[in-house]
Amino acid sequence: MKKIDLEIAVGFFLLIGIFSLAYISIKMGKLEVIGGKGYTVYAQFAQSGGIKPGADIQIAGVTVGRVTGIRLDKNYEALVSFEIDEGVKLQDDSIASIKTSGLIGEKFVQISPGASEKFIAPGGTIRDTESAIDIESLLSKYAFGKI
Amino acid sequence: MRNRRTVAAAVFFAFCLALFPFAVPEAYAGEATEQIKETSDAVIAVLNNKELRKPENRQKKRKKLREIVDKRFDFGEMAKRSLGPAWSKRTPEEKKEFVSLFSDLLENTYIRKIERFEDEKVRYNSERVDGAYAAVKTTVITAKGVEIPVEYRIFKKDAKWEVYDVIIEGVSLVNNYRSQFRDILNSESFAGLLKRLRDKEKKETE
Repeated sequence: MKKIDLEIAVGFFLLIGIFSLAYISIKMGKLEVIGGKGYTVYAQFAQSGGIKPGADIQIAGVTVGRVTGIRLDKNYEALVSFEIDEGVKLQDDSIASIKTSGLIGEKFVQISPGASEKFIAPGGTIRDTESAIDIESLLSKYAFGKI
Repeated sequence: MRNRRTVAAAVFFAFCLALFPFAVPEAYAGEATEQIKETSDAVIAVLNNKELRKPENRQKKRKKLREIVDKRFDFGEMAKRSLGPAWSKRTPEEKKEFVSLFSDLLENTYIRKIERFEDEKVRYNSERVDGAYAAVKTTVITAKGVEIPVEYRIFKKDAKWEVYDVIIEGVSLVNNYRSQFRDILNSESFAGLLKRLRDKEKKETE
């Protein structure tokens, strides 16, 4: 009898442990089990710099969404999909740039809001983008010159 | 029988014609590239003009360059985009003054830079058209052989394509000014921004 009680207690703790682990990984990985509450927009980049799904999208340093997917389009450019929080409207001349926090830090997308009276509809495209800057190739180009 | 065949051929022909406009954006050198090429050829012609290279013709050369660039670049749209969300809060007079100061700023910084260029070539790499907007990717090759990727973002205004942004080495001109103007507007007022632009112009023309 006593032995069974002990086993139940151990099993119970183990279950709590597994649930906590699952919760933490979902939170940390920013996975949405139930669909998020936002809308999707797309942006095309000539160079995505290896941005990953889950990367932050920021306006003025405030996270307003995240990257949900990246794939190669038929022009061999990166087509990145963003999920933007509901209530955040993007002007149709907004510019999306891929930035790096610090010199070798994580990549994120920065959106600078524009002046247009029109807004990007859900499923629309951010037309103006700035690709990730390859500091290495820039440095070598100007430091050593090109042949 | 023969009649029917002619009708079928006519229908097929009409169908091909209808498809044609959709096939055009895929073309390598489209209308957008043509128009950009026209402008940069004109700029290169001025830069390579031996007569205009003489120091005494400097003002004349600058004026010519500005005329060519003015036709292709929509400075009003560039100014609006560069100011960003603050644009809608300005009065029409303020907007007008800002646009004129901004185009002077661009003239001073860019036209002065390119007027020293000689013998450079432009390679037209690709064009992407999306409705009334397009991007033309080019590479400028300087006399020393340095290759600079330059991308023009253009939009259609009636039959003419006009430039609203230039992306050099992956850095957008509009976005560069947008973040600078935002910083200035955060720490100072709009009048302060205008004053800075005016001071800068004064310093450049001295």
